[in-house]
Amino acid sequence: MSIDGQSVNGPEAPAASRAASSAHAVRRAVVVGGNRIPFARTGGAYTKSSNQDMLTAALDGLIARFGLQDERIGEVAAGAVLKHSRDFNLTREAVLGSALSAETPAYDLQQACATGLETVLGLANKIKLGQIDSAIAGGVDSASDAPIAVSEGLREVLLDLSRAKTLPQRLQILARLRPKDLAPDAPNTGEPRTGLSMGEHQALTTAQWKITREAQDELAYNSHRNLAAAYDAGFFDDLLTPYRGLTRDSNLRADTSLDKLASLKPVFGRNLGSQATMTAGNSTPLTDGASTVLLASEEWADQHDLPKLATILDGVAAAVDFVHGKDGLLMAPAFAVPRLLARNGLTLDDIDYFEIHEAFAGTVLSTLAAWEDEEFGRTRLGLEGAFGKVDRSRLNVNGSSLAAGHPFAATGGRIVASLAKMLHEKGAPDGRPALGLISICAAGGQGVVALLEAQ
Amino acid sequence: MSSAQPIILGEMPSLSKLYVNAAAAAARRRILGSHNSTALPLVSHEVRGVLADVGNLTAYQHLLGESASDVLPAGFIHALAFPVAMSVMNRDDFPLPLLGMIHLRNVVEHRSALRFADPMDITAWTENLRAHRAGTQLDIVAEVRGAGEGTVHWRGVSTYLAKGVYLPGIDKAAAAAQPAAFKAPDPTGLWQLGVDAGRAYAAVSGDFNPIHLSVLSAKALGLRRSIAHGMYLASRALADVGSAKGEAFRWEVSFEAPVFLPARVALDISTVQTDGAAWLRSDYVAWSPRSGRKHFSGSVVAL
Repeated sequence: MSIDGQSVNGPEAPAASRAASSAHAVRRAVVVGGNRIPFARTGGAYTKSSNQDMLTAALDGLIARFGLQDERIGEVAAGAVLKHSRDFNLTREAVLGSALSAETPAYDLQQACATGLETVLGLANKIKLGQIDSAIAGGVDSASDAPIAVSEGLREVLLDLSRAKTLPQRLQILARLRPKDLAPDAPNTGEPRTGLSMGEHQALTTAQWKITREAQDELAYNSHRNLAAAYDAGFFDDLLTPYRGLTRDSNLRADTSLDKLASLKPVFGRNLGSQATMTAGNSTPLTDGASTVLLASEEWADQHDLPKLATILDGVAAAVDFVHGKDGLLMAPAFAVPRLLARNGLTLDDIDYFEIHEAFAGTVLSTLAAWEDEEFGRTRLGLEGAFGKVDRSRLNVNGSSLAAGHPFAATGGRIVASLAKMLHEKGAPDGRPALGLISICAAGGQGVVALLEAQ
Repeated sequence: MSSAQPIILGEMPSLSKLYVNAAAAAARRRILGSHNSTALPLVSHEVRGVLADVGNLTAYQHLLGESASDVLPAGFIHALAFPVAMSVMNRDDFPLPLLGMIHLRNVVEHRSALRFADPMDITAWTENLRAHRAGTQLDIVAEVRGAGEGTVHWRGVSTYLAKGVYLPGIDKAAAAAQPAAFKAPDPTGLWQLGVDAGRAYAAVSGDFNPIHLSVLSAKALGLRRSIAHGMYLASRALADVGSAKGEAFRWEVSFEAPVFLPARVALDISTVQTDGAAWLRSDYVAWSPRSGRKHFSGSVVAL
């Protein structure tokens, strides 16, 4: 059956609507695989590439890998944090520019650095409910090709001009222009309500949790070492498509050392009166890049003879009241993870792989410190004591954002695809499927975390 | 309400005329010698049926970081009432030189919400002339009622110092005890104030006091650079306290070192809640991250 030439045989639609009415019958959403382009430091290989260029490149690599040419995917969702106003339909435009069927619908989503992970969770839920059978989640960001806005003064004059009807009115409006109105407004990383940059916020949190410079440098060192080892082992061969001459993330310093990291000068927290420990080495640099993840129902994956790497089990979004310093800006995952694990009857000891996004080394270490803190566990999490300890040998084992870089909205897709592959390889070590946890902090005091299980 | 004799003004006084008049009065005093009045005028000035301009309100809200709601921010009402207050201090029988007076402290009781379409009656008078270790201080009180209503929705008390002016009959105050040394806490916010911060506030408040407008106009009045308007700083701190404060609150600010523009101002806001997480009060303090000097501090407390 078809309407306007589009098949209306939405696979197993009647069964799925029944399934949705019963929590037990909700079907699984699996990660089939992922594709990203290497991440590039700002001002590097992707300087002239737009968000749409990079998202389309990542999408086309995914299509090629899984044979999705002309396929009508259930839905594509992606987003960018730094977005031009002309990119209002960024994802749909990327789909139209890709080899997917032009009948594939798409929507944009924005939740700061959690954008990519939230697209995965939202689409996985649609698959679980039987609303769609396949989906592509993703994200892209360019700090090189960032939008620059005209000043408020010029913007108001231009808008008023467009409403003016007569020449005298237009002249009167133009006369309001002042030389300073011609200076553009560049985006900045300051939190709108505090005026502090993300780094300055994290510097406060890092000091509050007494995280040392050495511990931060060690985490950064491990990130580079682990990512380099993963590249050398060929781990990214089926997760990445070269782009603009890059075959690896350009921020990766395989030869970095603790001595080199220790020689860097602090960049955040110098004006805050606290001891400054955060350097360009233990903070993520501004980066350009894009990532995508293919999600599906088990039936769709089987019908298309595609792998099933991991199941998206559950996800939690949380937020903290950071504005007046009750909690650190990037500490929402410290609350989200305990909620996620509790409702799934799990503890930190049950997790085989932890993927804690390295916005700053201090972010990861402050989160771990909060979980190990008795008082935080009692007074803030409502537990009897500390939440628990993360086995560091299970943390970011193939590197994370400190080494790979962090094109804001693209980080979620990078992590989901890598973790799904790691879980699939791990299989069922003790007779139960391996579990992976993702934690991503975001601007505005937000955090999104997710639980994946090996297939 | 004051016991003072009310004088109804036919229209809102023009601040620019008041400043010109104050400058002329200052010149006259310089030539003709000191003023003969040593007591505050026993009158209040009142303007009836005042309406806020909605465009101006929106510009004010955007500048201060308030969302553009229909409720008038407490600092905006202060700006609305300010010309009435100025007109009292501009009277010939006002005993102190108006230009150069220093704003020491401001206390506002915001008892209930006023909306932009509500016409208001605004009354102002001076009271409590008293000694200060550095001169003479007084309070200027403004009250705002809904037009024709008896209930006061907003009441502000601004304390000003006429530095170096000692009036006969008012004993010199004892030197105040040395204030405790200020140690800056970790900030919760950082403001970047451009050199035009004074002009921007003048545009939305109507208060074109030359000390806030430009380096040149400030130098003409003996300052090395222009300074941020105290009510701009206090109103921004009030906006930063956020929506937790609800509709009825007491808002207080004490000014210390002036903020010379341009400047970075660090701010700490700490909030006290009940056990049930209901908001009780927020205390704020602002300082220079460069010198560590305290600029101002204050509180917003539930009424």
